[in-house]
Amino acid sequence: MELPVLNDQPASKGGCSASSCGTTDDQLDHLTDEIRAKVQNHPCYSEDAHHYFARMHVAVAPACNIQCHYCNRKYDCANESRPGVVSELLTPDQAVKKTMAVAANIPQMTVLGIAGPGDPLANPEQTFETFRQLSQDAPDIKLCVSTNGLALPASVEELSKHNIDHVTITINCVDPEVGAKIYPWIFWENRRIKGIEGAKILIEQQQKGLEMLVAKGILVKVNSVMIPGVNDKHLAEVSRIVKSKGAFLHNVMPLIAEAEHGTFYGVMGQRGPTPDELMELQDSCSGDMNMMRHCRQCRADAVGMLGEDRGDEFTMDKIEDMEIDYQAAMEKRKVIHQAIEAEMNSKREAKSATLAKQVAEEKLTTRPVLMAVATSGQGVINVHFGHAKEFLIYEASPEGVRFISHRKTDLYCGGDETCGDGESVLQQTIRALAGCETVLCSKIGYEPWEMLEQAGIMPNGEHAMEPIEEAVMAVYKEMAKAGKLDEIKPEQRATA
Amino acid sequence: MALKIINTCVNCYACEPLCPSQAIYKAEAHFLINPRKCTECEGDFEEAQCASICPIEGAILDKFGLAINPPGSLTGIPPERMAEVMAELQAH
Repeated sequence: MELPVLNDQPASKGGCSASSCGTTDDQLDHLTDEIRAKVQNHPCYSEDAHHYFARMHVAVAPACNIQCHYCNRKYDCANESRPGVVSELLTPDQAVKKTMAVAANIPQMTVLGIAGPGDPLANPEQTFETFRQLSQDAPDIKLCVSTNGLALPASVEELSKHNIDHVTITINCVDPEVGAKIYPWIFWENRRIKGIEGAKILIEQQQKGLEMLVAKGILVKVNSVMIPGVNDKHLAEVSRIVKSKGAFLHNVMPLIAEAEHGTFYGVMGQRGPTPDELMELQDSCSGDMNMMRHCRQCRADAVGMLGEDRGDEFTMDKIEDMEIDYQAAMEKRKVIHQAIEAEMNSKREAKSATLAKQVAEEKLTTRPVLMAVATSGQGVINVHFGHAKEFLIYEASPEGVRFISHRKTDLYCGGDETCGDGESVLQQTIRALAGCETVLCSKIGYEPWEMLEQAGIMPNGEHAMEPIEEAVMAVYKEMAKAGKLDEIKPEQRATA
Repeated sequence: MALKIINTCVNCYACEPLCPSQAIYKAEAHFLINPRKCTECEGDFEEAQCASICPIEGAILDKFGLAINPPGSLTGIPPERMAEVMAELQAH
Protein backbone atom coordinates (compact mmCIF):
# COMPACT_ATOMS: atom_id res chain seq x y z
CA MET A 1 0.00 0.00 0.00
CA GLU A 2 1.28 3.43 -0.92
CA LEU A 3 0.60 5.98 1.77
CA PRO A 4 -0.68 9.33 0.57
CA VAL A 5 1.79 12.18 0.40
CA LEU A 6 1.06 14.60 3.19
CA ASN A 7 1.19 18.36 3.26
CA ASP A 8 1.87 18.81 -0.43
CA GLN A 9 1.61 22.58 -0.29
CA PRO A 10 4.88 24.47 -0.15
CA ALA A 11 5.34 26.17 3.19
CA SER A 12 4.83 29.84 3.65
CA LYS A 13 6.15 31.02 6.97
CA GLY A 14 3.50 32.03 9.45
CA GLY A 15 0.26 30.75 10.83
CA CYS A 16 -0.77 28.49 8.00
CA SER A 17 2.49 26.79 7.20
CA ALA A 18 3.48 23.85 9.37
CA SER A 19 -0.06 22.96 10.14
CA SER A 20 -3.36 24.33 9.03
CA CYS A 21 -5.14 27.30 10.55
CA GLY A 22 -7.21 26.86 13.64
CA THR A 23 -6.09 23.88 15.67
CA THR A 24 -2.53 24.59 14.82
CA ASP A 25 -0.92 22.70 17.65
CA ASP A 26 -2.17 19.43 16.34
CA GLN A 27 0.12 17.67 13.89
CA LEU A 28 -2.68 15.30 12.94
CA ASP A 29 -4.46 17.88 10.85
CA HIS A 30 -2.92 16.78 7.57
CA LEU A 31 -3.48 13.10 8.02
CA THR A 32 -6.07 11.09 6.22
CA ASP A 33 -8.98 9.92 8.36
CA GLU A 34 -7.61 6.39 8.33
CA ILE A 35 -4.23 7.36 9.75
CA ARG A 36 -5.76 9.87 12.09
CA ALA A 37 -7.99 7.20 13.59
CA LYS A 38 -4.92 5.09 14.23
CA VAL A 39 -2.94 7.77 16.00
CA GLN A 40 -5.46 10.04 17.71
CA ASN A 41 -5.04 8.42 21.10
CA HIS A 42 -1.29 8.01 20.71
CA PRO A 43 0.39 10.49 23.04
CA CYS A 44 3.59 10.64 21.02
CA TYR A 45 1.90 11.82 17.85
CA SER A 46 0.09 14.94 18.90
CA GLU A 47 0.61 17.67 21.43
CA ASP A 48 -3.09 17.50 22.10
CA ALA A 49 -3.28 13.76 22.82
CA HIS A 50 -0.27 13.70 25.05
CA HIS A 51 -2.05 15.75 27.70
CA TYR A 52 -4.75 13.08 27.88
CA PHE A 53 -3.09 9.76 27.12
CA ALA A 54 -0.04 8.11 28.60
CA ARG A 55 2.56 5.76 27.17
CA MET A 56 5.21 3.53 28.61
CA HIS A 57 8.43 1.94 27.48
CA VAL A 58 9.69 -1.40 28.70
CA ALA A 59 13.43 -1.95 28.74
CA VAL A 60 13.77 -5.48 27.39
CA ALA A 61 16.32 -4.78 24.67
CA PRO A 62 19.82 -4.19 26.05
CA ALA A 63 21.97 -5.17 23.06
CA CYS A 64 22.80 -2.81 20.24
CA ASN A 65 24.20 -3.46 16.78
CA ILE A 66 25.62 0.00 16.08
CA GLN A 67 27.37 2.83 17.91
CA CYS A 68 26.05 6.39 17.66
CA HIS A 69 28.20 9.32 18.67
CA TYR A 70 25.41 10.71 20.89
CA CYS A 71 25.06 7.52 22.90
CA ASN A 72 27.08 6.01 25.70
CA ARG A 73 26.13 2.51 26.82
CA LYS A 74 27.93 2.85 30.15
CA TYR A 75 25.79 5.15 32.20
CA ASP A 76 22.57 4.93 34.09
CA CYS A 77 22.17 8.25 35.88
CA ALA A 78 19.04 8.58 38.03
CA ASN A 79 18.99 12.31 37.34
CA GLU A 80 18.98 11.94 33.63
CA SER A 81 16.03 11.67 31.36
CA ARG A 82 17.07 10.92 27.82
CA PRO A 83 16.93 8.06 25.34
CA GLY A 84 19.26 5.13 25.99
CA VAL A 85 19.14 5.56 29.77
CA VAL A 86 17.37 2.95 31.87
CA SER A 87 17.43 1.77 35.49
CA GLU A 88 16.01 -1.73 35.39
CA LEU A 89 16.30 -4.29 32.61
CA LEU A 90 13.27 -6.59 32.30
CA THR A 91 12.67 -10.06 30.92
CA PRO A 92 9.74 -10.35 28.48
CA ASP A 93 7.58 -11.93 31.22
CA GLN A 94 8.38 -9.11 33.62
CA ALA A 95 7.75 -6.54 30.90
CA VAL A 96 4.32 -8.01 30.17
CA LYS A 97 3.44 -8.01 33.85
CA LYS A 98 4.64 -4.43 34.26
CA THR A 99 2.70 -3.28 31.20
CA MET A 100 -0.53 -4.82 32.44
CA ALA A 101 0.01 -3.42 35.94
CA VAL A 102 0.51 0.07 34.55
CA ALA A 103 -2.44 -0.24 32.17
CA ALA A 104 -4.68 -1.31 35.05
CA ASN A 105 -3.49 1.51 37.32
CA ILE A 106 -3.12 4.30 34.76
CA PRO A 107 -6.12 3.71 32.51
CA GLN A 108 -5.02 6.56 30.21
CA MET A 109 -2.08 4.39 29.18
CA THR A 110 -2.74 3.49 25.54
CA VAL A 111 0.66 2.74 24.08
CA LEU A 112 3.49 0.37 24.92
CA GLY A 113 6.77 0.98 23.19
CA ILE A 114 10.02 -0.92 23.09
CA ALA A 115 12.84 1.50 22.51
CA GLY A 116 15.90 0.05 24.11
CA PRO A 117 18.08 0.75 25.97
CA GLY A 118 19.85 -0.84 22.98
CA ASP A 119 18.10 -1.54 19.70
CA PRO A 120 14.86 -3.57 19.99
CA LEU A 121 15.51 -5.42 16.73
CA ALA A 122 19.02 -6.38 17.84
CA ASN A 123 17.20 -8.31 20.61
CA PRO A 124 14.54 -9.99 18.48
CA GLU A 125 13.69 -12.78 20.90
CA GLN A 126 13.00 -10.49 23.85
CA THR A 127 11.22 -7.85 21.77
CA PHE A 128 8.97 -10.24 19.87
CA GLU A 129 8.17 -12.40 22.89
CA THR A 130 6.96 -9.25 24.68
CA PHE A 131 4.87 -8.24 21.67
CA ARG A 132 3.48 -11.77 21.24
CA GLN A 133 2.24 -11.97 24.81
CA LEU A 134 0.81 -8.46 24.86
CA SER A 135 -1.02 -8.85 21.52
CA GLN A 136 -2.71 -11.84 23.08
CA ASP A 137 -3.28 -10.78 26.70
CA ALA A 138 -3.78 -7.02 26.37
CA PRO A 139 -5.30 -6.43 22.94
CA ASP A 140 -6.40 -2.89 23.85
CA ILE A 141 -2.82 -1.66 24.08
CA LYS A 142 -1.15 -0.31 20.97
CA LEU A 143 2.37 -1.55 20.43
CA CYS A 144 5.19 0.33 18.87
CA VAL A 145 8.88 -0.04 18.39
CA SER A 146 11.75 2.31 17.76
CA THR A 147 14.84 1.17 15.85
CA ASN A 148 18.04 2.33 14.24
CA GLY A 149 16.92 0.33 11.19
CA LEU A 150 19.93 -1.93 10.68
CA ALA A 151 18.01 -5.14 11.43
CA LEU A 152 14.70 -3.80 10.15
CA PRO A 153 14.36 -5.55 6.77
CA ALA A 154 14.88 -8.91 8.48
CA SER A 155 12.19 -8.06 11.08
CA VAL A 156 9.36 -6.61 9.00
CA GLU A 157 7.58 -9.93 8.52
CA GLU A 158 7.55 -10.67 12.26
CA LEU A 159 6.56 -7.08 13.13
CA SER A 160 3.55 -7.29 10.84
CA LYS A 161 2.21 -10.29 12.77
CA HIS A 162 1.61 -8.37 15.99
CA ASN A 163 -0.56 -5.52 17.10
CA ILE A 164 2.00 -3.03 15.82
CA ASP A 165 0.83 -0.20 13.68
CA HIS A 166 3.67 2.23 14.25
CA VAL A 167 7.40 1.88 13.84
CA THR A 168 9.88 4.67 14.46
CA ILE A 169 13.16 4.62 12.55
CA THR A 170 15.95 6.95 13.56
CA ILE A 171 17.39 8.24 10.29
CA ASN A 172 20.03 10.92 10.72
CA CYS A 173 21.35 10.94 7.17
CA VAL A 174 21.06 9.51 3.68
CA ASP A 175 24.68 10.24 2.76
CA PRO A 176 27.35 7.78 4.02
CA GLU A 177 29.90 10.57 4.35
CA VAL A 178 27.63 12.37 6.78
CA GLY A 179 26.85 9.01 8.38
CA ALA A 180 30.51 8.29 9.09
CA LYS A 181 30.56 11.41 11.31
CA ILE A 182 27.59 10.09 13.34
CA TYR A 183 28.12 6.31 13.43
CA PRO A 184 31.67 5.14 14.19
CA TRP A 185 30.79 1.48 13.57
CA ILE A 186 28.07 -1.05 12.92
CA PHE A 187 27.99 -4.82 13.51
CA TRP A 188 26.91 -6.49 10.30
CA GLU A 189 27.18 -10.08 9.05
CA ASN A 190 29.49 -11.09 11.91
CA ARG A 191 31.92 -8.20 11.49
CA ARG A 192 32.43 -4.80 13.02
CA ILE A 193 32.45 -2.37 10.10
CA LYS A 194 33.75 1.14 10.67
CA GLY A 195 33.46 4.46 8.87
CA ILE A 196 31.80 5.16 5.55
CA GLU A 197 31.40 1.48 4.67
CA GLY A 198 29.40 0.84 7.84
CA ALA A 199 27.31 3.98 7.46
CA LYS A 200 26.49 3.02 3.86
CA ILE A 201 25.10 -0.37 4.92
CA LEU A 202 23.10 1.20 7.75
CA ILE A 203 21.55 3.77 5.41
CA GLU A 204 20.65 1.09 2.83
CA GLN A 205 18.96 -1.06 5.48
CA GLN A 206 17.05 1.91 6.94
CA GLN A 207 15.70 2.93 3.56
CA LYS A 208 14.83 -0.64 2.59
CA GLY A 209 13.10 -1.19 5.95
CA LEU A 210 11.10 2.02 5.53
CA GLU A 211 9.88 0.92 2.09
CA MET A 212 8.99 -2.58 3.33
CA LEU A 213 6.98 -1.25 6.30
CA VAL A 214 5.07 1.20 4.12
CA ALA A 215 4.30 -1.62 1.67
CA LYS A 216 2.83 -3.58 4.61
CA GLY A 217 0.64 -0.66 5.64
CA ILE A 218 2.51 -0.08 8.91
CA LEU A 219 2.83 3.59 9.86
CA VAL A 220 6.39 4.86 9.94
CA LYS A 221 7.62 7.85 11.87
CA VAL A 222 11.17 9.03 11.25
CA ASN A 223 13.24 10.48 14.07
CA SER A 224 16.33 12.57 13.31
CA VAL A 225 18.83 14.04 15.71
CA MET A 226 19.90 17.52 14.65
CA ILE A 227 23.67 17.87 15.04
CA PRO A 228 24.90 21.36 14.12
CA GLY A 229 27.71 21.28 11.57
CA VAL A 230 27.22 17.55 10.97
CA ASN A 231 23.76 16.90 9.54
CA ASP A 232 21.80 20.12 10.08
CA LYS A 233 22.02 21.21 6.45
CA HIS A 234 21.37 17.65 5.32
CA LEU A 235 18.14 16.98 7.23
CA ALA A 236 15.86 18.84 4.84
CA GLU A 237 16.91 16.32 2.18
CA VAL A 238 16.34 13.44 4.61
CA SER A 239 12.88 14.83 5.28
CA ARG A 240 12.08 15.04 1.56
CA ILE A 241 13.26 11.50 0.87
CA VAL A 242 11.54 9.75 3.77
CA LYS A 243 8.32 11.56 2.96
CA SER A 244 8.49 10.49 -0.67
CA LYS A 245 8.88 6.91 0.53
CA GLY A 246 5.78 7.14 2.69
CA ALA A 247 6.83 8.06 6.23
CA PHE A 248 3.88 9.88 7.80
CA LEU A 249 5.67 12.04 10.34
CA HIS A 250 9.15 13.47 10.81
CA ASN A 251 10.46 14.28 14.27
CA VAL A 252 13.62 16.39 14.32
CA MET A 253 15.07 16.38 17.83
CA PRO A 254 17.94 18.42 19.23
CA LEU A 255 21.22 16.68 20.00
CA ILE A 256 21.69 16.19 23.74
CA ALA A 257 25.44 16.38 24.42
CA GLU A 258 27.09 17.00 27.77
CA ALA A 259 30.64 16.04 28.70
CA GLU A 260 29.38 14.20 31.79
CA HIS A 261 27.36 11.82 29.60
CA GLY A 262 30.66 10.48 28.27
CA THR A 263 29.43 10.39 24.67
CA PHE A 264 31.70 11.21 21.72
CA TYR A 265 29.82 14.43 21.03
CA GLY A 266 29.70 15.35 24.72
CA VAL A 267 33.39 14.79 25.32
CA MET A 268 34.51 16.37 22.05
CA GLY A 269 32.50 19.53 22.77
CA GLN A 270 29.99 19.17 19.95
CA ARG A 271 27.16 21.55 20.77
CA GLY A 272 23.44 20.91 20.38
CA PRO A 273 21.27 23.28 18.36
CA THR A 274 19.79 26.41 19.91
CA PRO A 275 15.96 26.49 20.10
CA ASP A 276 16.01 28.97 17.22
CA GLU A 277 18.11 26.71 15.00
CA LEU A 278 15.86 23.76 15.74
CA MET A 279 12.75 25.75 14.96
CA GLU A 280 14.22 27.05 11.73
CA LEU A 281 15.09 23.54 10.57
CA GLN A 282 11.67 22.20 11.54
CA ASP A 283 10.10 25.02 9.56
CA SER A 284 12.31 24.37 6.53
CA CYS A 285 11.40 20.67 6.61
CA SER A 286 7.71 21.31 7.09
CA GLY A 287 7.20 22.24 3.46
CA ASP A 288 7.94 18.66 2.57
CA MET A 289 6.74 16.86 5.62
CA ASN A 290 4.34 16.69 8.50
CA MET A 291 6.60 17.71 11.39
CA MET A 292 6.37 16.66 14.98
CA ARG A 293 7.28 19.37 17.44
CA HIS A 294 6.50 18.18 20.93
CA CYS A 295 8.78 15.16 21.43
CA ARG A 296 10.15 15.07 25.00
CA GLN A 297 12.97 12.60 24.22
CA CYS A 298 12.07 10.23 27.02
CA ARG A 299 13.98 7.38 28.59
CA ALA A 300 13.82 3.79 27.37
CA ASP A 301 11.92 2.87 30.57
CA ALA A 302 9.64 5.91 30.87
CA VAL A 303 6.13 5.48 32.30
CA GLY A 304 3.30 8.00 32.19
CA MET A 305 2.42 11.13 30.27
CA LEU A 306 5.07 12.59 27.97
CA GLY A 307 7.52 14.61 30.01
CA GLU A 308 6.62 12.96 33.31
CA ASP A 309 7.98 9.72 34.62
CA ARG A 310 6.10 7.50 37.05
CA GLY A 311 8.51 4.61 36.63
CA ASP A 312 9.29 4.60 40.37
CA GLU A 313 5.73 3.51 41.15
CA PHE A 314 6.13 0.42 39.01
CA THR A 315 9.46 -1.15 39.87
CA MET A 316 9.52 -4.95 39.61
CA ASP A 317 9.44 -5.50 43.38
CA LYS A 318 6.27 -3.40 43.64
CA ILE A 319 4.67 -5.14 40.68
CA GLU A 320 5.31 -8.63 42.04
CA ASP A 321 2.80 -7.85 44.82
CA MET A 322 0.09 -6.47 42.57
CA GLU A 323 -2.96 -8.55 41.74
CA ILE A 324 -4.27 -7.62 38.31
CA ASP A 325 -7.65 -8.54 36.88
CA TYR A 326 -6.98 -7.44 33.33
CA GLN A 327 -10.43 -8.25 31.99
CA ALA A 328 -11.98 -5.89 34.54
CA ALA A 329 -9.28 -3.31 33.88
CA MET A 330 -9.99 -3.46 30.14
CA GLU A 331 -13.68 -2.69 30.70
CA LYS A 332 -12.76 0.30 32.84
CA ARG A 333 -10.13 1.45 30.37
CA LYS A 334 -12.62 1.39 27.52
CA VAL A 335 -15.06 3.65 29.33
CA ILE A 336 -12.32 6.08 30.31
CA HIS A 337 -10.85 6.18 26.80
CA GLN A 338 -14.24 6.98 25.31
CA ALA A 339 -14.78 9.80 27.80
CA ILE A 340 -11.35 11.25 27.06
CA GLU A 341 -11.91 11.10 23.33
CA ALA A 342 -15.25 12.84 23.68
CA GLU A 343 -13.65 15.56 25.78
CA MET A 344 -10.80 15.99 23.31
CA ASN A 345 -13.20 16.27 20.40
CA SER A 346 -15.41 18.83 22.07
CA LYS A 347 -12.40 20.91 23.13
CA ARG A 348 -10.99 20.71 19.63
CA GLU A 349 -14.25 21.89 18.12
CA ALA A 350 -14.63 24.73 20.61
CA LYS A 351 -11.06 25.84 19.92
CA SER A 352 -11.55 25.82 16.15
CA ALA A 353 -14.70 27.89 16.50
CA THR A 354 -13.03 30.49 18.75
CA LEU A 355 -9.99 30.78 16.55
CA ALA A 356 -12.03 31.05 13.39
CA LYS A 357 -13.91 33.89 15.04
CA GLN A 358 -10.72 35.64 16.13
CA VAL A 359 -9.23 35.42 12.66
CA ALA A 360 -12.44 36.64 11.07
CA GLU A 361 -12.79 39.62 13.41
CA GLU A 362 -10.04 41.84 12.13
CA LYS A 363 -7.06 41.07 10.01
CA LEU A 364 -3.87 42.38 11.56
CA THR A 365 -0.80 42.92 9.42
CA THR A 366 1.75 42.81 12.21
CA ARG A 367 4.84 40.61 12.52
CA PRO A 368 4.69 37.23 14.30
CA VAL A 369 5.64 36.92 17.99
CA LEU A 370 6.84 33.93 20.00
CA MET A 371 5.28 33.42 23.41
CA ALA A 372 6.08 30.91 26.14
CA VAL A 373 3.28 29.29 28.13
CA ALA A 374 3.46 27.52 31.50
CA THR A 375 0.97 24.67 31.46
CA SER A 376 0.58 21.21 32.90
CA GLY A 377 -1.91 20.23 30.21
CA GLN A 378 -5.63 20.34 29.50
CA GLY A 379 -4.93 23.22 27.13
CA VAL A 380 -4.99 25.96 29.78
CA ILE A 381 -2.45 28.27 31.43
CA ASN A 382 -2.22 26.71 34.87
CA VAL A 383 1.36 26.65 36.14
CA HIS A 384 3.23 29.13 38.34
CA PHE A 385 6.32 30.47 36.55
CA GLY A 386 8.65 29.14 39.22
CA HIS A 387 7.10 25.67 39.15
CA ALA A 388 7.25 25.19 35.38
CA LYS A 389 9.47 22.29 34.34
CA GLU A 390 8.93 23.20 30.72
CA PHE A 391 7.29 25.86 28.61
CA LEU A 392 5.28 25.40 25.44
CA ILE A 393 6.25 27.86 22.74
CA TYR A 394 3.56 29.32 20.51
CA GLU A 395 3.80 31.66 17.58
CA ALA A 396 1.09 34.29 17.32
CA SER A 397 0.62 36.03 13.98
CA PRO A 398 -2.24 37.57 12.05
CA GLU A 399 -2.90 34.08 10.66
CA GLY A 400 -3.57 32.60 14.09
CA VAL A 401 -1.73 30.73 16.81
CA ARG A 402 0.47 27.70 16.18
CA PHE A 403 2.35 25.40 18.49
CA ILE A 404 6.10 25.52 17.80
CA SER A 405 7.89 23.45 20.42
CA HIS A 406 8.43 22.86 24.09
CA ARG A 407 11.49 23.97 25.99
CA LYS A 408 12.70 22.31 29.13
CA THR A 409 13.82 24.45 32.02
CA ASP A 410 16.03 21.87 33.70
CA LEU A 411 18.13 21.28 30.57
CA TYR A 412 17.84 17.51 30.74
CA CYS A 413 19.29 17.21 34.20
CA GLY A 414 17.48 17.15 37.51
CA GLY A 415 20.67 17.26 39.54
CA ASP A 416 21.81 20.19 41.65
CA GLU A 417 24.17 22.95 40.56
CA THR A 418 27.21 20.70 40.82
CA CYS A 419 25.84 19.04 37.70
CA GLY A 420 26.06 22.20 35.60
CA ASP A 421 28.20 25.30 35.42
CA GLY A 422 26.71 26.93 38.49
CA GLU A 423 24.25 29.05 36.55
CA SER A 424 21.10 29.63 38.59
CA VAL A 425 17.93 27.82 37.65
CA LEU A 426 16.29 31.15 36.94
CA GLN A 427 19.08 32.18 34.58
CA GLN A 428 18.82 28.83 32.83
CA THR A 429 15.10 29.24 32.45
CA ILE A 430 15.47 32.71 31.01
CA ARG A 431 18.07 31.42 28.58
CA ALA A 432 15.71 28.62 27.55
CA LEU A 433 13.11 31.24 26.69
CA ALA A 434 15.38 33.16 24.31
CA GLY A 435 13.46 34.53 21.35
CA CYS A 436 10.15 34.73 23.24
CA GLU A 437 8.75 38.19 23.93
CA THR A 438 6.13 37.21 26.47
CA VAL A 439 5.70 34.44 28.98
CA LEU A 440 2.21 33.49 30.11
CA CYS A 441 1.82 31.75 33.46
CA SER A 442 -0.73 31.49 36.24
CA LYS A 443 1.40 33.53 38.68
CA ILE A 444 4.91 34.84 38.96
CA GLY A 445 7.11 36.17 41.77
CA TYR A 446 8.70 39.60 41.97
CA GLU A 447 12.33 38.57 41.40
CA PRO A 448 11.76 36.50 38.27
CA TRP A 449 9.46 39.24 36.95
CA GLU A 450 12.29 41.76 37.13
CA MET A 451 14.84 39.43 35.61
CA LEU A 452 12.53 38.50 32.75
CA GLU A 453 11.81 42.14 32.01
CA GLN A 454 15.52 42.89 31.97
CA ALA A 455 15.96 40.05 29.49
CA GLY A 456 13.32 41.59 27.26
CA ILE A 457 10.62 39.01 28.04
CA MET A 458 7.35 40.41 29.35
CA PRO A 459 5.76 38.26 32.06
CA ASN A 460 1.99 37.98 32.00
CA GLY A 461 -0.12 36.40 34.76
CA GLU A 462 -3.44 37.86 33.66
CA HIS A 463 -4.71 34.80 31.81
CA ALA A 464 -4.56 32.14 34.49
CA MET A 465 -6.79 29.13 33.76
CA GLU A 466 -7.70 30.45 30.31
CA PRO A 467 -7.38 28.32 27.15
CA ILE A 468 -3.88 28.76 25.72
CA GLU A 469 -4.66 29.74 22.13
CA GLU A 470 -7.26 32.31 23.13
CA ALA A 471 -4.97 33.91 25.69
CA VAL A 472 -2.01 33.98 23.29
CA MET A 473 -4.16 35.66 20.63
CA ALA A 474 -5.54 38.16 23.17
CA VAL A 475 -2.04 39.12 24.29
CA TYR A 476 -0.91 39.38 20.67
CA LYS A 477 -3.74 41.78 19.91
CA GLU A 478 -2.91 43.87 22.98
CA MET A 479 0.69 44.08 21.78
CA ALA A 480 -0.47 45.11 18.31
CA LYS A 481 -2.83 47.71 19.75
CA ALA A 482 -0.11 49.14 21.97
CA GLY A 483 2.02 49.64 18.85
CA LYS A 484 4.66 47.16 20.00
CA LEU A 485 4.62 45.21 16.76
CA ASP A 486 5.99 46.47 13.49
CA GLU A 487 3.79 46.23 10.49
CA ILE A 488 4.93 43.78 7.86
CA LYS A 489 4.92 45.35 4.43
CA PRO A 490 2.80 43.44 1.93
CA GLU A 491 5.78 42.46 -0.26
CA GLN A 492 7.63 41.11 2.82
CA ARG A 493 4.65 39.06 3.80
CA ALA A 494 4.45 37.47 0.40
CA THR A 495 8.00 36.19 0.64
CA ALA A 496 8.36 35.73 4.38
CA MET B 1 43.45 -20.16 24.41
CA ALA B 2 40.52 -18.08 25.53
CA LEU B 3 39.22 -14.53 25.65
CA LYS B 4 38.19 -12.87 28.88
CA ILE B 5 35.47 -10.39 29.87
CA ILE B 6 36.45 -8.06 32.69
CA ASN B 7 34.49 -5.92 35.16
CA THR B 8 33.98 -2.96 32.85
CA CYS B 9 31.33 -5.08 31.09
CA VAL B 10 27.96 -3.24 31.21
CA ASN B 11 25.79 -6.35 30.82
CA CYS B 12 24.32 -5.37 27.45
CA TYR B 13 23.90 -9.02 26.39
CA ALA B 14 25.06 -8.29 22.84
CA CYS B 15 27.86 -10.87 22.86
CA GLU B 16 26.07 -13.77 24.50
CA PRO B 17 23.87 -14.99 21.61
CA LEU B 18 26.70 -14.56 19.08
CA CYS B 19 29.15 -17.00 20.68
CA PRO B 20 29.43 -20.10 18.45
CA SER B 21 30.64 -22.17 21.41
CA GLN B 22 28.08 -21.01 24.00
CA ALA B 23 31.04 -20.06 26.15
CA ILE B 24 29.55 -16.76 27.38
CA TYR B 25 27.31 -16.79 30.44
CA LYS B 26 25.72 -14.25 32.76
CA ALA B 27 27.35 -14.27 36.17
CA GLU B 28 26.54 -12.26 39.27
CA ALA B 29 28.30 -9.00 38.41
CA HIS B 30 28.72 -9.27 34.66
CA PHE B 31 29.12 -11.69 31.77
CA LEU B 32 31.98 -14.17 31.80
CA ILE B 33 33.64 -16.48 29.28
CA ASN B 34 34.16 -20.12 30.13
CA PRO B 35 37.83 -20.59 29.16
CA ARG B 36 37.31 -24.31 28.55
CA LYS B 37 34.66 -23.63 25.91
CA CYS B 38 36.06 -20.48 24.25
CA THR B 39 37.70 -21.15 20.87
CA GLU B 40 38.27 -17.46 20.03
CA CYS B 41 35.84 -18.29 17.20
CA GLU B 42 38.54 -20.19 15.32
CA GLY B 43 37.01 -22.28 12.58
CA ASP B 44 33.68 -20.41 12.87
CA PHE B 45 34.43 -16.76 12.17
CA GLU B 46 37.33 -14.65 11.04
CA GLU B 47 37.00 -12.35 14.03
CA ALA B 48 36.03 -13.10 17.61
CA GLN B 49 32.31 -12.35 17.72
CA CYS B 50 32.09 -11.05 21.28
CA ALA B 51 34.89 -8.58 20.69
CA SER B 52 33.36 -7.52 17.37
CA ILE B 53 30.06 -6.35 18.88
CA CYS B 54 31.17 -5.28 22.38
CA PRO B 55 30.58 -1.50 22.70
CA ILE B 56 32.89 -1.05 25.70
CA GLU B 57 36.56 -0.39 25.05
CA GLY B 58 38.81 -2.60 27.14
CA ALA B 59 36.08 -4.95 28.37
CA ILE B 60 37.32 -7.99 26.43
CA LEU B 61 40.92 -9.20 26.67
CA ASP B 62 42.80 -11.54 24.35
CA LYS B 63 44.80 -14.55 25.51
CA PHE B 64 47.74 -12.27 26.38
CA GLY B 65 45.54 -10.13 28.62
CA LEU B 66 45.52 -7.21 26.18
CA ALA B 67 42.41 -5.21 25.34
CA ILE B 68 41.09 -6.28 21.94
CA ASN B 69 39.35 -2.90 21.63
CA PRO B 70 41.79 -0.42 23.22
CA PRO B 71 40.75 3.07 24.42
CA GLY B 72 39.61 5.30 21.55
CA SER B 73 39.19 2.42 19.08
CA LEU B 74 35.39 2.23 19.27
CA THR B 75 34.19 5.66 20.35
CA GLY B 76 36.73 7.65 18.37
CA ILE B 77 37.42 9.74 21.49
CA PRO B 78 41.22 10.22 21.81
CA PRO B 79 42.19 8.82 25.26
CA GLU B 80 44.04 12.02 26.21
CA ARG B 81 40.91 14.08 25.44
CA MET B 82 38.82 11.74 27.58
CA ALA B 83 41.30 12.05 30.46
CA GLU B 84 41.34 15.84 30.19
CA VAL B 85 37.53 16.12 30.22
CA MET B 86 37.12 13.65 33.08
CA ALA B 87 39.72 15.54 35.16
CA GLU B 88 37.84 18.77 34.48
CA LEU B 89 34.56 17.22 35.62
CA GLN B 90 36.20 15.83 38.77
CA ALA B 91 37.57 19.27 39.63
CA HIS B 92 34.07 20.77 39.71
